[in-house]
Amino acid sequence: MALNPALLVFLYALATALATGLGAIPFIFVSRLSGAVVAYASAIASGLMLGASFGLVAEGTAYGGWQTIIGGGVGVGFILLTQQILQRYDVHFGVARGVGARKILLMLVVMTAHSFSEGVAVGVAFGGGMVLATAITVAIAVHNVPEGLAISAVLRSRGESVAVCAAWSVVSSLPQPVMAVPAFLFVDAFRVALPYGVGFAAGAMVFMVLVELLPEAFEEARRPIVALLVSATLVGMVLFQQSL
Amino acid sequence: MVFSTVMDLQSIDTNAFAPVLTVLGYAAIAAGFASFGVLPLIGRRQGSSVLLGLANSLAAGLMLGAAYALMVVDPDGLPPVSAIAAMLGIMYVLFTHWAIGTTELDLNRLDETDPTYGYKVLLINTLHGAAEGVAIGVAMIVSIPFGTFVVVAIAVHNIPEGTVLSAILASLGARIRDAAALAIAANIGQVLLAVATFAIVSAAPEVLPWAAGFAIGALIYLVMAELLPEGYREVGHTSVALVAIVAMGMVVVLTGLSL
Repeated sequence: MALNPALLVFLYALATALATGLGAIPFIFVSRLSGAVVAYASAIASGLMLGASFGLVAEGTAYGGWQTIIGGGVGVGFILLTQQILQRYDVHFGVARGVGARKILLMLVVMTAHSFSEGVAVGVAFGGGMVLATAITVAIAVHNVPEGLAISAVLRSRGESVAVCAAWSVVSSLPQPVMAVPAFLFVDAFRVALPYGVGFAAGAMVFMVLVELLPEAFEEARRPIVALLVSATLVGMVLFQQSL
Repeated sequence: MVFSTVMDLQSIDTNAFAPVLTVLGYAAIAAGFASFGVLPLIGRRQGSSVLLGLANSLAAGLMLGAAYALMVVDPDGLPPVSAIAAMLGIMYVLFTHWAIGTTELDLNRLDETDPTYGYKVLLINTLHGAAEGVAIGVAMIVSIPFGTFVVVAIAVHNIPEGTVLSAILASLGARIRDAAALAIAANIGQVLLAVATFAIVSAAPEVLPWAAGFAIGALIYLVMAELLPEGYREVGHTSVALVAIVAMGMVVVLTGLSL
């Protein structure tokens, strides 16, 4: 008996979400947690997120330029609002408190929110037919690994365990299977929404990089090293995404 | 497809001088914008570091956006040689900073009277201007509208550079008029490289992925090593981020229209 295609889409998207956890693996080898390590981790996360956003904007503008821009504006507003809300509470996250905990929470909110629009992209891609299912799944799973890397960089450098990094990386991607199914079932409706969602994801990630990750990186480490890490990671990420 | 004109390099008439003159004119205008940098110095003796920070943030967004546009311009993706060239672009800016000793130096001091500081700022601006010239040349090859937009981005970036340079000169007793002239002269390398890049790539289109990659790497590294850190120091994080991301959004819109 063949599986229901919608269930199949859910399972494929779930598999890609699990791949995000693989991004935590390199951090098994990172144990020394100095201010410089936090800065380098932020720099790498910045490069990955900027590169990912460049890819998203290129994809979004192919569906609709203005819609992508509007989505991006909403993404920026979303971060500003989340920052305001987080500032009102005395947050703590695992071993982190205060500013560090706020940064971790903001990172998780951003990456989880951006997964919603990625889920839509997955569903719309499957909507083109199940023939390419395996290829799409593998491509998106591989694409998720650097996102787990970015999340783990922020969490691990503030003292969270590798298991916690992996778990939160997977959680941040769970909206993907959730959104993929309705997007698959109602492809036409979601295809219209796609540029807004993709713009939102890109706007939120770029703004997060500019307002939180980079200033922190420049405070804690030497400028040329931070700049080199961001630049090389950005170019590498764009190339990596194009090769998928 | 909009991209078809972009990559159809054979259509460029290598014997015609008109396009080269266009590039020369536009690049000269970008260089001329450096003279506007003296405006904050007229009347008051010192420029405002908040204005400098905002100008840097604006330039950062425009230049990062230009790098984005150069990366996605080819629908087949960035060729691997461009990635190598991007590393060369990064290394060029990194190495020039290291050689001149400006790696950790604040390039935006308005109250610095030490002539050595002035020489360093002049030297680094001139050498980085050359890389920016390559970006102008490459963008002009892609299309004239896109090239015009990159000219605007570089021109915006030239203004705060002009402010710092002329503040140093003014503090050493130079007249504002002379300071403005030198601020423009510091960008002559930019104009030459813009024209040379355009001419060379027109004659030998196979060089384009190399030149584009070099420009991409140099632009991104300039933003990360100079414009953003100096912006963060001069104005708040949120102001820098908002100005830069609005500038990037403008680039995305203009790129969609001009490519």
